[in-house]
Formats: sequence, structure tokens, C-alpha cells
Amino acid sequence: MTSAVDLEPGAPSDVDLMLGIQSGDADALSQLYDRYNGIMRALILRIIHNETETDDLLQEVFMEIWNQAKNFAAEKGKPLGWMVTLTRRRAIDALRKKQAYARAEERLQAQPEQQPLAWVQNATENDIEAGDTRVLMAKVINSIPEAQQQVIELAFFQGMSQREIASHTNIPLGTVKTRLELGLKKIYDSLKELRDEF
Amino acid sequence: MSFEEFQNCARLYVIGALEPEELQDFAAARKQYGSAGEDFINQCYGLHEAFALSLKPAKASNAIKDKLMSMVRERGQGQSRPRSA
Repeated sequence: MTSAVDLEPGAPSDVDLMLGIQSGDADALSQLYDRYNGIMRALILRIIHNETETDDLLQEVFMEIWNQAKNFAAEKGKPLGWMVTLTRRRAIDALRKKQAYARAEERLQAQPEQQPLAWVQNATENDIEAGDTRVLMAKVINSIPEAQQQVIELAFFQGMSQREIASHTNIPLGTVKTRLELGLKKIYDSLKELRDEF
Repeated sequence: MSFEEFQNCARLYVIGALEPEELQDFAAARKQYGSAGEDFINQCYGLHEAFALSLKPAKASNAIKDKLMSMVRERGQGQSRPRSA
């Protein structure tokens, strides 16, 4: 698999585009943007919950991809993984810097049990075709208990530590840790099985 | 720390969920397991990709791209705009 999205025959792979960006090819960045801006924007929006700030940050993230492309090494992982890691870090930094964390926490406290459902709901709508990467990912995430989805959601999309999750959900710290470990292991193992199939 | 425990910690580490006191033990185990440990950590970053891909894409407007590409072509690579105070 050369890309996480379906590509036209003959289209450059993600790695090809990253190599192009590393050599200063702005058109390569343009193509990478077309391919992934929807995923990156969804991720940022999920973390900071503000459309205008999301668009500003999306632009900053792609500028950072352009400027930091030299730090990408194909042997260490795929371009999308690198971009998602960078994007998530920037979005969580922005969330904390703008002190929106407390507001997000209040919102989450109002409906903590809905978070796992909100996460998977996106992927079970009828507007997506079977076989889509998103369906596969959603199936993997759906396969773990909701209680595990909830703690992973708070850790990944809200950047919460185990202690913060325990405090936020009133779940004992040891239980939070166990749920995180079990849930992440199940997702990791399922992804590995999927990779081995392709 | 056994390799299985290291693997559990690595999955928490990549999503930033290790507590400070766990980070020390993890760093020691990371040295202990060397390249096998590093390979495993790199694989764990696939979790990031999976979580992002599970979201419904929310495409940005063309204006965002136009502005981005204009900045890229104007400034070149490796030059970031000085931040205003």
C-alpha cells in the first residue's frame, strides 16, 4: 500500500511526494495537501473544536510539513503517520496554549459517555462505501469495548494523561491504565492483522 | 521490564499517555531492548494513523490551499515567518 487513500493509476506515492517536498518541489506539497487535508483538518477539528482555529492551524501544519520535510525518514514509518503525529502534537499544543482545555473539559464532562459513540458514529454512516479505509479503521476501533474507546479517545484526541483521565471520569487510575493497555493492544493487533492481509 | 510490558508502555508512550514516573522506566527499557524496541515504537505510531483515518474527512476550502501555496512559493523552504508578539 503506497498511500492510505485510493490513488489514480500512475499517481505518485506518498513517499514520492515527501521526497519531492524534501527537494523543494511546491507541487509535491500541493498534491500531498489535496490528498490529506481532509484527514488532517478532521483531526485538528476533533481536538480543538473550532472551525476558524482549525483552518489556521491546518495551514500552519502544512507549512511545517514543508519546512520540516527533511526530518522525515521513510525507513522509520509512513508519511501519513509522520504527518498525523505532527498535526496531533500541534493541535494539542494549541488546545493547551489557548487555555481552551478547561472549556473542552467542561464540554466533555457534560457528556462523557457519548464520546466513544461520537468517535465511531462518523464511520458508520451510510455515506461511505464498504472497503473504505475509514470503515476498516472504524471496525477495528469498534471492536473494543466502549469503556476502552472512551479512555483512548481522551488520551489521543484530548491529550489527557492517565491521571487526568482518572480525574475526569472518576475511574480509578489502575483501571484507566488497564483499559488503555488492553484497548491499544487490541487495536494494534488488529491493525497488524490487516497489514499482514494486504 | 519484560518485552511484553515494554510493548504495553510503548503503545501508551506514542499517544503521550505515560505518566512521568513511568517514562523513566520506559527510557531504561528502551535502551535495554535497542533496535527491537525502536522498531516496535515506530510500528506503534501506526496507531496515530488509524485514529486519524477513522474520522470523517473534513476538507478545507480552496482559499486555505491558495493561501498556503502562496506562502510556500513566496518564502521558500526552511524559512518561517517571525511570530508577532
